[in-house]
Amino acid sequence: MFRRVVVAEMKKNIKQFFFSARTIFWALALPLGNGLYLYFLYFPFVTESVELEFNTSTYTLDLVGFTVVGQLLYSFFSMMLLAGAAFDRERQQGTLEAVLLSPANRLAILLGGALASAFSYMWMLMGVLFSWIVFLHVDIMIIDFSALLASIVLSYLSIVALGVCLEAFFIHSRRGTMYGTMLQEPIMFLSGLIFPLQAVPKSLLTFSYLIPLTFGLISVRLTLLGGASISDVAVPLALLSFMIIIFFILARWLIRYAERKAKVKATLTQF
Amino acid sequence: MAAHSLRVLLATAKVNLTMTWRFFSWTGFALRFCAPIMTLGAAWVLYNHVYNGITSSEFRSAVGASDYLSFITVGNAFYVFVFSAAFVVGRVMFWERVSGTIEATFITPMNRLAHMAGVMVAAAVNSSVDFVAVFLIALLFGFQASSFNVLLFFSSLLLTAFALFGIGLMTNAVTLTFRDRTTTSNTLMILFMVFSGIVCPVELMPGWAQTISKALPLTYGIRLMRASLVRPEGYNLLHDLAGLITLGIVFVGIGIITLKLIERNLKKKALFSVF
Repeated sequence: MFRRVVVAEMKKNIKQFFFSARTIFWALALPLGNGLYLYFLYFPFVTESVELEFNTSTYTLDLVGFTVVGQLLYSFFSMMLLAGAAFDRERQQGTLEAVLLSPANRLAILLGGALASAFSYMWMLMGVLFSWIVFLHVDIMIIDFSALLASIVLSYLSIVALGVCLEAFFIHSRRGTMYGTMLQEPIMFLSGLIFPLQAVPKSLLTFSYLIPLTFGLISVRLTLLGGASISDVAVPLALLSFMIIIFFILARWLIRYAERKAKVKATLTQF
Repeated sequence: MAAHSLRVLLATAKVNLTMTWRFFSWTGFALRFCAPIMTLGAAWVLYNHVYNGITSSEFRSAVGASDYLSFITVGNAFYVFVFSAAFVVGRVMFWERVSGTIEATFITPMNRLAHMAGVMVAAAVNSSVDFVAVFLIALLFGFQASSFNVLLFFSSLLLTAFALFGIGLMTNAVTLTFRDRTTTSNTLMILFMVFSGIVCPVELMPGWAQTISKALPLTYGIRLMRASLVRPEGYNLLHDLAGLITLGIVFVGIGIITLKLIERNLKKKALFSVF
């Protein structure tokens, strides 16, 4: 039952996302353009490499790789932010009551929405990776494949978990799309997407550590471009695993709370 | 004829200004500054914290100055202005159709260009607020203007707006034909944002990117505006001025033709209000 709800919700959201051929083009154009924008931001200073300090070591990373990894993870992250507005859309379509009246598992609905965004992201991932590797030549240095795999999988899952959590959280607000959009720029700034984390002002670092993207960026960049091993990125990987558990528990609690409150106050479809 | 066009222009501008301010939203207003603040903040961190205020020699020779923050502020402010002023034109007919007023608009004997220009004037007035606000925000990040050539400053604004008006006219044809607003405007936005030299001089970009940037009026407009505020060494003013005027004439010419063609086609096939 749980699996069927996840798959059905995924199918529905994927169909809604790829409703026209233009989406296919646009899903590629935006991250590609944003990536180039961030890449060119470095040109007044350097054109080859970026230094990333982590755990008392300094890694010299290829600038193209630094930017493309950042852009790819960020695009996924922002898709999850916007996936958080899924219940807003249900409410606008007038289907939210029907969804919550069905005996479908709530967490399965949330997970299906988040996984649909993750699936839609694959198209973008392939296109961006292909174009950047062909046109801009990413300089890759992998020493420990298991570390890279763990970094990608844990980053992916932690961001999906956050997406699920946001979906459950935004249902309380009735302004999910706006909050999802508003969060994008601060996260770009704080997560180390644009510049290495050591350059983030110290007073803001606490906020950076609350974002799974921060640790995802560190671990994927270091294992893909800096030749880091699993022991080098053990701390960010452990933190990502912790975030996955926390976000799923929080999402489960939030959606139950939202449903209970809405039933008591009969405010489910009100704006 | 000229008096009639002027009346259309003023009436359209008035309607659009009234609509904007009647439904003013502080949240929407604040959201408009997210991207410029993020870019300025990122540039500030890169310049001061990562590279300790040192730009490359290529940057200095391309720009004729070493102040990166002033460089990026001008680009950002200019982009915010022309984007909100000129790209509104590209969505005029789309919104007319959505509002159900497109048929009535095209039935009136008014000059279409004057109508579009009216929309642009209203948008320009609104975006002047954004333009000034970005400069004020940039002062906090360390923006400094070493000179202020009034004539060049306003010429660059007007000429770029004129060229982008042409692109706006063409965009109308695209949005009316494909019934799409978001994809078209966002693609144009990305194109201008990446290749116009907002965050780095065009001369430092790869060859293929430089080729794209040569076809964008914003590239020349930004350089002219920077020259009016920063006075770079060895700057070739005539080259950019000629480039911008040429592109303006070409784009507006094509825009007028495409608008006429699309109107004729929509009338012929009775597709005005069909989605």
